[in-house]
Amino acid sequence: MSEAPALEFDQVTFGYGRTPVLREVSLRIYPGEFYAVVGANGAGKTTLMKLGIGLLHATYGTIRLFGEPVEKFHDWHKVGYVPQRAAARPTLPVSVDEVIRTGLAGHLGLFRRPKAHHRRRIEHVVDVMGLADTRSAPINRLSGGQQQRALIARALVTEPRLLVLDEPTTGVDAAARHVLRESLEHLVRVERVAVAYISHDPEGFSGLAHHVVEVTAGHLVDAPVEGHHHPTPTKTRP
Amino acid sequence: MTDVLALGFMQKALVACVVVCTVAPLVGAFVVQRHQSLTGDGMGHVAFAGVGLAFLIGAAPLLGALVFTVIAAFVLFRLQRSGLAGDLSLALIFYGGIALGYLFAARSGSGVNTVLGFLFGSPLNLTWESVAAVVGLALVVLVIVLVLYGPLVSIAFDEEAARVSGVPTNALVLTLTLVVALTVVGGMYAIGLLLVSAMMIVPVAAAAQVAASYRQTMAIAAAIGGGSAVVGLLLAYYGDATPGSSIVLTAIVCYVIASVVGTLRRRARRQTPRLAER
Repeated sequence: MSEAPALEFDQVTFGYGRTPVLREVSLRIYPGEFYAVVGANGAGKTTLMKLGIGLLHATYGTIRLFGEPVEKFHDWHKVGYVPQRAAARPTLPVSVDEVIRTGLAGHLGLFRRPKAHHRRRIEHVVDVMGLADTRSAPINRLSGGQQQRALIARALVTEPRLLVLDEPTTGVDAAARHVLRESLEHLVRVERVAVAYISHDPEGFSGLAHHVVEVTAGHLVDAPVEGHHHPTPTKTRP
Repeated sequence: MTDVLALGFMQKALVACVVVCTVAPLVGAFVVQRHQSLTGDGMGHVAFAGVGLAFLIGAAPLLGALVFTVIAAFVLFRLQRSGLAGDLSLALIFYGGIALGYLFAARSGSGVNTVLGFLFGSPLNLTWESVAAVVGLALVVLVIVLVLYGPLVSIAFDEEAARVSGVPTNALVLTLTLVVALTVVGGMYAIGLLLVSAMMIVPVAAAAQVAASYRQTMAIAAAIGGGSAVVGLLLAYYGDATPGSSIVLTAIVCYVIASVVGTLRRRARRQTPRLAER
């Protein structure tokens, strides 16, 4: 039986008002695949991914998450979203631990409280993202790299099968980029998570990406994959 | 001091003001984090229209305020979701509310002091029935905030990410707007429609200067709110001042003190090594 793509765009067109941003875009991201999206500022990279995770609605075409049309998709715990850091800048002090726990809110629903296995998962992501020493600190008192890792930990707390990252290395120093690369490599190769990675900076995904596409004039254009050393993940294409 | 606490009108004022000023910052923490600090203020303006209409038709002011603010909460929510909740449309609703309130109140022949009592609070004139209504509304608000704490924090911190993780953000934003409406109505008798929103915001702003987490911010803000109510009422009693304004000014003094403490702590932290970047 063929494996459904984690994320699929089929001839998707989208515009803000009468201004078209994306035209007849098609893409498929399979489990265990690292898919990088590049493009100039304002080209439509973030719009593309917001469509993919249901934050925007396509004008034409179909978007599917794990084979389900995005409008009917309910298993949101399978999707982890790491927005641009500026979108998650708190006005009030919010500790790293609290930020990570917000990732469980949708999975738990309105009235359930975290159980032992949820707490174990929190401990795991704190450990994996190297946040043990800073978990009780307010997130806005941390460095850019630490903030980014906290947002990724939040996205990972529900054990997602698709991880969408929007400009994750912006304002992040070299050491933190290294930790991020190692974490993503582990997720893709070992845990077979599908990764959609939006960036204007190829350094962040060089050697990791199986596919690189550029958003230009509303279309996706294949870009060369540089320095990719890993075997293409096992999958069955239709 | 014990003499003051033995006075019936002070007992009622203390119960109502402490309850309102303790609960209001718990709601304010979510409102401030969502950059909607003026929502409570606007709700107060709309509630005044309900109070005015209640005067005119001889209904209970609390009921009038409740109906108008609940309607305003739904309208505001629709405007926010349709992207029309800009400054201008909100200003039209809110100033329309206070203008309508004054029109109704004037037509009903209510005295200026009665109107001022609703706008700026008159806790020293409360009956135990109105105290019970205030406490009841505050309890409803408290229960909603405690039960929905986790999901509310998630939409306050990052609504888009919350939506992607499956949180019913529309229902929660509407609930939060309704909770703001209930808080404003609950605070109407105690510190007034125009001042209650200050108690949603100022204690939170003060707590944020010294807290290290959201939970801590809420706990400190509630303590500052409740403490300001006690100190403000006593100042009003001994200094022959208006209670609502004394309470809000006490909270503002707390903000100034917290700002100084926060600044000193930040300076001290800068002189010690930063948290290690790993």
